Amino acid sequence: MLALCVGLALPAAAQQAPGETYVLIVTGVGGEAHYSRMFHEWAIAFGDAARDRHGVSPEHITYLGENTQRAPDRIADRSTREVVERELTRLARLARAGDRVLVVLFGHGAGSGPESRFNLPGPDLTAAEWAALLGRFSGPTVGLVNAASASGDFVAALSGERRIIITATKSAQERNEARFGRFFVDAFARDVADVDKDGRVSLLEAFDYARREVARTYEEEGALLTEHAQLDDDGDGTGTAAPDGLSGDGRLARAFHLNSTARVIAGADPRLRALYEEKQAIETRLDELRRRKDSLSAADYEQRLEDLLVALAEKNLAIRELEARRP
Amino acid sequence: MKRIVARQACLALVAAIALSCVGWPADAQTGAGADASFRAGKYDEAIAAYRAGAAGPDAPATAARGLVRALATVGRYDDAEQTARSATAGGSPELWNVLGEVLAERGKLAEAESAFVSAIRGRATDSLTARLNLAILRFERGERDEAMREFDHFIDVYNRGARLTAEELMAVGTACRYLGLERHEMVRDALKAYDLAIAAAPEWLEPRVRVGELFLEKYNGTDARASFGEVLEVNASHPRALVGMARLLLFENASGADDLVRKALGVNERYVPARLVLAGMAAANEDYEAATREARTALDVNPASIEALAVLGASRLLSGDRTGFENARRRALERNPRSAEFHATVADLSARSRLYREAAELAREAVRVDSMSWRAHSVLGMNQLRLGAITDGQRSLERAFAGDPYDVWVKNTLDLLDTFDGYEEVRTERFLIVAERKEAALMGLYAGELAEEAFARLQARYGYRPAGPVRIELYRSHADFSVRTVGLTGLGALGVAFGDVVALDSPSARELGHFNWGSVLWHELAHTFTLGASANRVPRWFSEGLSVLEERRARPGWGDDVTPGFLIAHRDGRLPAASRLNEAFTRPTYPEQIGHAYYMASLVCEMIERDGGIEAIRAMLGGFRDGQTTAAIFRQVLRTDLERFDRRFDEYVRQRFARAMTALGPGESGGPAGDGRAADGRRNALRAMANAGPYAAAMAEGGDHASAGRHEEAIAAFERAKAMFPEYAGEGSSYRALAAVHKTRRVVRRAASELQALTDIDGANHGALMELAAMLEQLGDSSGAAAALDRAIYLNPFEIPVHERLATLYAATGDRAKAVRERRAVLALDPVDRPAALFELALAHWQAGDAAAARREVLRALELAPNFERAQELLLTIRRGGAARVEAR
Repeated sequence: MLALCVGLALPAAAQQAPGETYVLIVTGVGGEAHYSRMFHEWAIAFGDAARDRHGVSPEHITYLGENTQRAPDRIADRSTREVVERELTRLARLARAGDRVLVVLFGHGAGSGPESRFNLPGPDLTAAEWAALLGRFSGPTVGLVNAASASGDFVAALSGERRIIITATKSAQERNEARFGRFFVDAFARDVADVDKDGRVSLLEAFDYARREVARTYEEEGALLTEHAQLDDDGDGTGTAAPDGLSGDGRLARAFHLNSTARVIAGADPRLRALYEEKQAIETRLDELRRRKDSLSAADYEQRLEDLLVALAEKNLAIRELEARRP
Repeated sequence: MKRIVARQACLALVAAIALSCVGWPADAQTGAGADASFRAGKYDEAIAAYRAGAAGPDAPATAARGLVRALATVGRYDDAEQTARSATAGGSPELWNVLGEVLAERGKLAEAESAFVSAIRGRATDSLTARLNLAILRFERGERDEAMREFDHFIDVYNRGARLTAEELMAVGTACRYLGLERHEMVRDALKAYDLAIAAAPEWLEPRVRVGELFLEKYNGTDARASFGEVLEVNASHPRALVGMARLLLFENASGADDLVRKALGVNERYVPARLVLAGMAAANEDYEAATREARTALDVNPASIEALAVLGASRLLSGDRTGFENARRRALERNPRSAEFHATVADLSARSRLYREAAELAREAVRVDSMSWRAHSVLGMNQLRLGAITDGQRSLERAFAGDPYDVWVKNTLDLLDTFDGYEEVRTERFLIVAERKEAALMGLYAGELAEEAFARLQARYGYRPAGPVRIELYRSHADFSVRTVGLTGLGALGVAFGDVVALDSPSARELGHFNWGSVLWHELAHTFTLGASANRVPRWFSEGLSVLEERRARPGWGDDVTPGFLIAHRDGRLPAASRLNEAFTRPTYPEQIGHAYYMASLVCEMIERDGGIEAIRAMLGGFRDGQTTAAIFRQVLRTDLERFDRRFDEYVRQRFARAMTALGPGESGGPAGDGRAADGRRNALRAMANAGPYAAAMAEGGDHASAGRHEEAIAAFERAKAMFPEYAGEGSSYRALAAVHKTRRVVRRAASELQALTDIDGANHGALMELAAMLEQLGDSSGAAAALDRAIYLNPFEIPVHERLATLYAATGDRAKAVRERRAVLALDPVDRPAALFELALAHWQAGDAAAARREVLRALELAPNFERAQELLLTIRRGGAARVEAR
């Protein structure tokens, strides 16, 4: 019981296992030239950001595209049903417990319920079939982002343990062109989404940034919001529009980053390692305190918060000073 | 509950009987010619034909009835009465009812009652109508319970299944209409009975008039229009339908009501309902003497008319004649001590003249007298809301709605009040700002600061201080603002002041960058002071004029300014004399006249202040507070009469704009289309100058040079145009053209100077303000750039980057308080990177010397982002009490 509580209390950085990250980017059928071009641009930008800004190994990034001729050096293969099945099967064999697998779909959607589809060149894969493919992953944490229109029913179909399912829309009825993908890419490609200032972008931060930017653009245009992104990572099959990452949906996504500090810590010298461990302990206590906020008086909470934050700030300062002295 | 039941089977029979009938109470014996003439509005012919038909001992009663009604219709009441009396002298009961109707129209109520009783006792063929008339008589003198029992009897009459004539069906309908006052479901029965009457006698117009009135009574303008229209198509001179249509136009706030009423008076110059419409219109126009005259004319015809007494009472009250009001009230209550109508009508007219507190008190009295007067509950509730008593107002409106669910004003307002759960209140020292939760924090920040500034300045100007906190309501939906103001959507105004309560569109209700909400707020707050200083008795023209003047004094470029359209209207004589300016607000004669009226009123006030100082303005407000007339105030304060003042003002305008007037071409005599103030002005101004005058010619010449790259020549031409009409900064102005040329030549300082001049005249030009800010920043003028951006916030406060730029500029110029405000604004806009916004706010507080606030905000930032390095640095700095080492980004 105690172990379980400690495990749940671990802050984002501490939860991150030192495993590998695998990224699979799939663009579907554009239908029109400008969509095909847009989905391709998003895929390239996301792949670049994963590699250049978030430290994902280039050989762990796979891009399956509608048309390989568009960028033969970047697109590994055509995004047909067979190729997608093959690639996911390969990743399922490769990825182990502690690893992270992120599947990102840019394109159009159709259908509803388990028969919801992400439109691929040739026969589509239904949500139920995507779920079956994800079922082949036994160890790693898997994130799947369906940035397509009418993607909402993927949440119920794909939800599961150690899975983060993000959809651009709330249901299959939201069929207008979805803008979510553009801002989801921006979250990783630009310095806009690292809200907790830990130097990394979590899936939760990316989701939050994208959904808010989508809403902002609609509002600026005076248009009715026709896409409501959802996130599910507690396995209950029900998405949440604005998860806070402290309870229910969002906790797993909050801990899901493309890169890992744990590896940095693991490679540090003993003094630095000790400081990092002390820092993580403070972060754990901070998370505990934040969860207990409602049970404390405002003054008590604020005082405890300040004490911990000061301790954390001093620990960070010590880490920076020590790192600065390293050759 | 008793209701009339459907009788489809009977309908065919009734129709079969009645189809052969035309004329008033359809009767085959009456002579088709007389009825046809009457129906077509050929009243003289009808009178002659009826008279011929009624002659002789065996003449049918219907002919005599037709004659009496025709005579009454054209206002020959004495002849009508005499004719009816003669016909009853022979012992026949058939004319007693119409005699009673004529007597009732003249206010001879005791005699009318006696006549109706005689008709009933004599079992006249129209005795059922007499019974209805008797019940109405009782109702109108306060014997409500007895009257209601009588009305209820008509349901039994109908449900017994007897064959009813069209006239009897109409009587049933009218009885149901009265029953509907207490049981709103009965309104449907009334309509059903009227429809049956129409079906029974399709050519008979009266049931259609009643249907129109019923629809209008229940706020259904579309169907009322159709019904009145059907009648007027057959008889364009039908006085009752004409007045019904006029009331409909007033209900819809459309023009043309007075023409219809005049037409009705052309048929019968003593027609009381027509006189009362005119009286109401005059009262709404704040012409209380005219309203009094019309009400007295109506009372000369019918001294017992409670509606006429109410309009008379209101007119006397609003013109400061308390004794006259009390006399009218006494007479009305003598007539019917249980009538809410008098007080409710006076309350309604008082509210139209902005006396909301008095209106609420009168409505409360109406409710006390008759707790089932839904109209009184409605008037009370609306005015409680205008006074800021939201809970009480809502309660009153709920009561009104329970009794009359057809009242669209009440329903709309209750629907709006239901949304107030989503609003938040922000308090400042002297204001309560109410806005939708989403933007309450942001708008509270700016509206609060601006309102406090306005309060201090306006208090000093007017020597008046509002008693309680002033309530400012901001609506993100213009429809909501409109409902809050008038109970209906579609109001063209941008803001409204009820006194210590003001409401206006939030900037998000309008196209961003085009609506100067700050200027509108200042305008409405100026009303708060001028209304307060005059005990709400300031005439509209004066209050509006002062508000526009105060806008112009508040900030450069705020408030209406002169437009070519205004000058052309002045030149063409389309503006009213200064002393009749109110009419341009209440009854504009061309679409954009109301916009011209605002500006003209401000010029009138400007001239008064120039000549007499603010003391003259204050003295005038005091005079209105004390109930003096405009003429008396002009004599005492301005030492002039209205006529001389009008001439002086005309000369003032000519002198002030002499240069600009010669610069204009012939212009468009009709002026540009628009919906009044909001659409008037600069945007349409160019059209008004379309026909080339010297200004347009110089601008065209400059444009040609600029297109050809001859910048020096272009500048010379544009400068010439500017010298001709320096007040003009609208579309296609010399300032904009000069700024463009200087920008092309990369002479940023001169381009900025032109934009500065432009925005000092037209402060609502968002693009120019943003461009000016960028240029000034480029020139290193941080204060100037900040000032331009600060003005742009009043056009669009929702841009985070603008607030961030402003915060940086204020920090650079050392205006720490405003830097904090801008950081708070960023936070209020719910940025994605909330920890960063909180940190910047903390830093701004820290730099402003407020360590406690800095600590609070940096803790909030770190609570969200514990490893936020710069925030950690600031926290440690604060803890150590050290200097602000952490610098702004």
